[in-house]
Amino acid sequence: MSVLARSVGNAFRNKIRTAAVVAVLAVAIGLALAMLVANQAVGGKVQELNASVGTVLTVNPAGAQGFDGGGEPLTTAQTATAAAVPNVVSVVGTKALRLETATAASTSTTGTATQQAGPGGGPGGGTSVTTNLQAAIDAGTLGNRNNTSGSTSGSTGSGSTGTGSTGSENTGTAPTFSLPITATGIGAEVDTAGKALNITSGTGLGDYTVASTKALVGTTLATKNNLKAGSTFTIADKTFTVAGIFDAGTTFGNNAVYTTLAEAQALAATPGELSSMVVTVNSMENVDAAKTALQTALGSSKADVTQGQRNLETAVSSLDSVKNISLVAFIAALGTAGLIILLIMVMLVRERRREIGVLKAIGARNRTIGLQFVLEALVLVALGSVVGAAIASFASDGIASALISSNSSTAATTQRGPGGAGFGGPGGNPFGGASQLLTSVTASASPGVIAAGVAAVFGVAVVGALVPALLTARIRPIEVLRGE
Amino acid sequence: MIEVKDLVRQFKSGDRTIKPVNGVSFELEKGTLASIVGKSGSGKSTLLSLLGALDKPTSGDVVVDGVSLAGLPAGKLTEYRRRDIGFVFQQFNLIPNLSAVDNVMLPMEFAGMRKAARLERARSLLEQVQLDPEKQSRRINKLSGGEQQRVAIARALANEPKLILADEPTGNLDEQTGEHIIELLSSLSRDHNTTILVVTHDRSLAQKTERRFRLQQGKLSEETVRPRVAARA
Repeated sequence: MSVLARSVGNAFRNKIRTAAVVAVLAVAIGLALAMLVANQAVGGKVQELNASVGTVLTVNPAGAQGFDGGGEPLTTAQTATAAAVPNVVSVVGTKALRLETATAASTSTTGTATQQAGPGGGPGGGTSVTTNLQAAIDAGTLGNRNNTSGSTSGSTGSGSTGTGSTGSENTGTAPTFSLPITATGIGAEVDTAGKALNITSGTGLGDYTVASTKALVGTTLATKNNLKAGSTFTIADKTFTVAGIFDAGTTFGNNAVYTTLAEAQALAATPGELSSMVVTVNSMENVDAAKTALQTALGSSKADVTQGQRNLETAVSSLDSVKNISLVAFIAALGTAGLIILLIMVMLVRERRREIGVLKAIGARNRTIGLQFVLEALVLVALGSVVGAAIASFASDGIASALISSNSSTAATTQRGPGGAGFGGPGGNPFGGASQLLTSVTASASPGVIAAGVAAVFGVAVVGALVPALLTARIRPIEVLRGE
Repeated sequence: MIEVKDLVRQFKSGDRTIKPVNGVSFELEKGTLASIVGKSGSGKSTLLSLLGALDKPTSGDVVVDGVSLAGLPAGKLTEYRRRDIGFVFQQFNLIPNLSAVDNVMLPMEFAGMRKAARLERARSLLEQVQLDPEKQSRRINKLSGGEQQRVAIARALANEPKLILADEPTGNLDEQTGEHIIELLSSLSRDHNTTILVVTHDRSLAQKTERRFRLQQGKLSEETVRPRVAARA
């Protein structure tokens, strides 16, 4: 009979006690594993959030945003200024264009190929150019209403070359109106929120820093115009080839075209001008400082710096708290399992002092006896781990949800303050969209995480069992056999 | 050859110094069956512990085949117990959750013998001590006292020791079983040429040994030297 076989046999000497020990160990190990699974799930979510919009700042010309507002445009030179700000890891310039279907454009009052866009025709806004593409979105009530209001504004604009329809079109019943298509020149393969483009077919644009007649087309726009990778279309009478189709995830986002930044600037005949800059900061903690530094560097009279989805900060902060709590709980549960092993093994060593004395008397080395006790502890831990892993696989999602909801409730109370109503409005969720992010954390017990947790449990168990194993070395056979 | 040279073991008990073994000297030749008799508390078990390297003497030495135990480190003393000594205890001291054969295999496992070889030897030893083959795989607590002591003797013989130290081997057994055990020890001493030293307060048992010592107040005196005719013949 080997040491291992003897250890296994010893572990089952007293079946009732073994069952009790395994049950207690299983609870501690199950809790430790559930906490580890929750920690990993929340950590993954935090990383995902931080990697997407959580660390992105958007720079617009001061007084302008998109196709609205006024002021002076941003320039390519300002991207270097932004890039020099501490904690900024990347700066991507964009140039927005408004593509109008050639037939719709020809019915406008100006009849020119290139028009100043939007109410007031702000320089920071997009530039309208013609295309042979048909918009993938029907104007509908909202489109026609917006178009009417835009024309009114346009016609009352101060001396601008209004882009709206004629007065007669504005005052009558809603006329047939074709929505423009958004085209954006980009300096890297990201959307205007700084999120990587999801190209579903074809390829990207390659070098985004040079002018090129390749373009990326949104899925719905491609379907509407029967485009696929390799197809061609025109913008301002220039032929473009579809390099790839992307999916932005929204109907509006997919009614769009991306070209390289240089190409968009050339199409708009505004070289060196930017509509916006997408600035990525190295970590969530540095976003506020970077935003302030960026605003100072660019000048508040020249640029507006905004942080997309600020409420994500709250979500990430909450998730970070949950992550920390779950890590502490994991360590505590692990320590508890180790302590249980330590106490059980100390008890067993005391109980078997005589037997240890006999083994030493007949020539067993200290390390052989110590190993026997460590292996016995590991047998108990192995049994506890099997039951604990089963507990964790069932309970981890519930425990993670409970932790998250408990933490978000606390954060909500803090956020809401004495007034009771946060930015979600009375009775609304103060986290807004962030609450969805919190609840979207799924703590599934993956084999890898369970294996890592069990390995940690075994490590702690070895440490816990070593102490009593070393105690066996101090037992002198003469002392325990003197009773003879 | 076992040589015991002026062996002393003393303990402190409050202000008093107790010397259960006080200047004991004797020699035992290989293959001798000897006994030490004495009243309870006379120091018999202490002397046996010193001979078996379970305890360290205050002074004096035990020399086994020319090797002095006094200078050996703990690891070497463990090796000495494993290789040269076999213990038989009054309360058997077998491992209760193991079978008879597993108990006998333990010292051989500690000596690094391969499993097949130790299983074969364990079964052979259990046959020599006349334990029924069907009882060899039984757990210890399923065996009678006499059977357990036979297993303990087989375990003591496992590594072919130079010296078997038996502490009251018949103390927990009835008279008839005790007789069988002492006959068994006697025949093993003859057959294996093993030195056996039995500690007992049972005079009838002691009378069956070749050499009989008496331990009184820590001092050892030899009572009888009886030639073992059958063995020498």
